Amino acid sequence: MSRPLLQVRGLTVRFGGLVAVDRLDLELHAGRLAGLIGPNGAGKTTVFNLLTGRVRPSAGQVLLDGRTIAGNGARLRPDRINKLGLARTFQNIRLFNQLSVLDNVLVGFHGRLRAGFVSAVLRLPGYCREEERNRARAEDLLRLVELDHLSQEKAENLAYGQQRLLEIARALATDPRLLLLDEPAAGMNPQESAALARLVSRLRDQMGLTILLIEHDMRFVMNLCEELTVLDHGAVIARGAPHQVQNHPQVIEAYLGVDQAAGEAGHA
Amino acid sequence: MRLRLPARLNPGHLAPAHQTRRRDSLLTAAAGLGVAGLLWLAQEFAGGYVVHMLCVAAIYATLAASYNLINGVTGQFSLEPNAFVACGAYVTALLTLSPLEKEASFILEPLIWPLSVISIPLLPALVIAGLVTAFMAFLMGFPVFRVRGDYLAIVTLGFGEVIRVVANNAQSITNGPLGLKGITQLTNLWWAWGLLAVTLFVLVRLVHSSYGLAMMAIREDETAAEAMGINAFWHKMLAFTLSAFFEGVAGGLLAHLITTISPTLFTFFLTFNLLIMIVVGGLGSTTGAVLGAMLFTFGGEWLRVVEEPMTILGLHIPGIPGMRMVIFSLILVTFMIFARQGLLGRNEFSWRWLAAVFKPRRRP
Repeated sequence: MSRPLLQVRGLTVRFGGLVAVDRLDLELHAGRLAGLIGPNGAGKTTVFNLLTGRVRPSAGQVLLDGRTIAGNGARLRPDRINKLGLARTFQNIRLFNQLSVLDNVLVGFHGRLRAGFVSAVLRLPGYCREEERNRARAEDLLRLVELDHLSQEKAENLAYGQQRLLEIARALATDPRLLLLDEPAAGMNPQESAALARLVSRLRDQMGLTILLIEHDMRFVMNLCEELTVLDHGAVIARGAPHQVQNHPQVIEAYLGVDQAAGEAGHA
Repeated sequence: MRLRLPARLNPGHLAPAHQTRRRDSLLTAAAGLGVAGLLWLAQEFAGGYVVHMLCVAAIYATLAASYNLINGVTGQFSLEPNAFVACGAYVTALLTLSPLEKEASFILEPLIWPLSVISIPLLPALVIAGLVTAFMAFLMGFPVFRVRGDYLAIVTLGFGEVIRVVANNAQSITNGPLGLKGITQLTNLWWAWGLLAVTLFVLVRLVHSSYGLAMMAIREDETAAEAMGINAFWHKMLAFTLSAFFEGVAGGLLAHLITTISPTLFTFFLTFNLLIMIVVGGLGSTTGAVLGAMLFTFGGEWLRVVEEPMTILGLHIPGIPGMRMVIFSLILVTFMIFARQGLLGRNEFSWRWLAAVFKPRRRP
C-alpha cells in the first residue's frame, strides 16, 4: 500500500499540567474522507491546531506526504504548512468580516501569487493575468458553494450557514490536498447540513481532495465518513468504520457516561 | 426579508471595475490636470502664505496616507512616524546643505566626514533619504513585529523617542539641539504635490492589489490570514518599510520648506497630529487620510478667527490666545462621539461611485 498522505505519530501536547492530546497516532490515505469525533473538550480542535502549526507539539510528529511539518525539530509557520497543501476552516468562524465575499476567497489565492509587489503596483501583464485568472477561479468556487449571488456582500452580513460555506471556499482557494473541516455543519438546519454533506462528498469525489472533519452532528458523520477516530481526554479510544465505532462500548461510555450506558444496556 | 438600500449606496448598482477601467484612468488623468491647473493659478495669483499652506497640506497628506497604510490598512497600530520624518528631514538636509553652510552651523563639534563635504541636488537627496528611512524601518521591523496590539504601539512609541534623543545628542551628525539652519527653500507646490501624487499612485494601486487584500486580511484576522498561506510578518514589513519610505521623503521636503530643523520639531506631537488626521478621515481609507490632512491643515488656520477680538450681540470679547485649540478639541470630541468611523469609514473615493451618485435613479 502506498504511503499515507497524513501520518501522525505519538502526537502529544501539554498545556501546563493538562495533557490535551495524548500520544495520538493517525494515518490518512489520499482520497479518504475521515472524521474525528469525541465529546466536548476531547482535544479535537487542538489536533487541528497542531496539524496546521498554530500549536507546537510537546512530543511526536506530523508528516504530510512524507515530509515532517510539525514536531521532531520542524517549526513550520502556519502559512508554510498551508502552502504545502493543508487548509482548514475554523470552528468559531474566522472570516475577514469587513471584506467582501469575493475578496475573502481572493485572499486564499494570495499565498500562491507569483508576481512581486512592484509588478502588482505597476500592473505589469504578468500580475494582471494572474489576477484575472484568480478572480475567475474565485467566482467558480463561489458558484460551487452557491454564494456567487452574494459576491459583493460583506462577509459579516452572511447568514451563519453561509459563512461556514464561505470558509470552505476560502480554504479551497489555497489549493489544498488535505482539507480540515472543523464542525462544518454547526448551526445549520437539516436542509443546509444535507447540502453540505453533498458538497463535501463532491469535493472528495470530483476534486480528489482528502478530507478530515470534526463534527458533533452524529447523523452527518455516520452517513458521510468512511473512517472515524474517536478521541476522549486527548487519547484515541476507538477507530474504524462508522458502524464499528457506533457500537464500541468505550465510545458509548465516553458520550453518555458509565451509569447511563449501563442502564441503556440493561433496557436493551 | 431583505433590507432595501438606497440605489446609490447599493454596490450592486456600480458597474464592474474592469468595464470602466479605461474611463476611470482618463478621468483620473483629467482630474490630475485640473488640480495642476489650480495649483498654477495659486502660484501665480495667490499670496506666499496660501502657497506655503498648500505645500504643508500636501506634505501632511503624504504623511497621513503613508501612515494609514500600516495603521489603517494593515491594522498595526504603531506610533513612530515622527522618527521616520525626522530621519528623512536630517538625511536630506545633510545631503543638500553646502559645505560652507555646514561649517558655519556646526560650531560645537564639526560634522563628520564625508557628510561635511557632500552637497547634492534635492531629487537624489530625497531618494536617498527615503531609502535610508525605509532601511531603518526594515531593521526596526524585526523586533517590533514580534508583538501585536497595545504592545506594538508602546514599542514603536519607544523607538520614536529613541530617534529624537539620538538627534538631540549625536552632536557631530545632527548638530544636537541647535539643529540645522540655512536649508535652502527648495520645496514648492510642484515638489509637494508631485510627491503626493506619486505616493497616492503607489498606495492606491497597492491597496487595490492582491497585496493590499492580504494586508487587510491581516487586519481582519491575523490567525486566519496565516492559515490561508499569508506570511503576516513580511506583509507587515512591506507596509511598514513602504510607509517609512514616503514619510522619509516627505520629511525631506518639510525640511526644505521650513528651512530650519531641530529635534523639537519631531516630538510625539507630530505622530499624534497624523493620528488625528487618519482617524478623523476614516482609519483604513486612503481618501480619508488625504481629506483628514487637508481639513487639519486648513482647519487650524481657519480657526484662528476665534482668537481675534470680536463683538457678539454688543458684547465685546477680547482675543484669547489658544482659544482655537479649545475649539479644535471640542470638534474632535464631538467627532469621536458622533462619527467614530471618521468621515469616510473605510470607503474610498472612486469614479464608479461618483458615476453611481449622479446617475438618475431607476424606479423599480
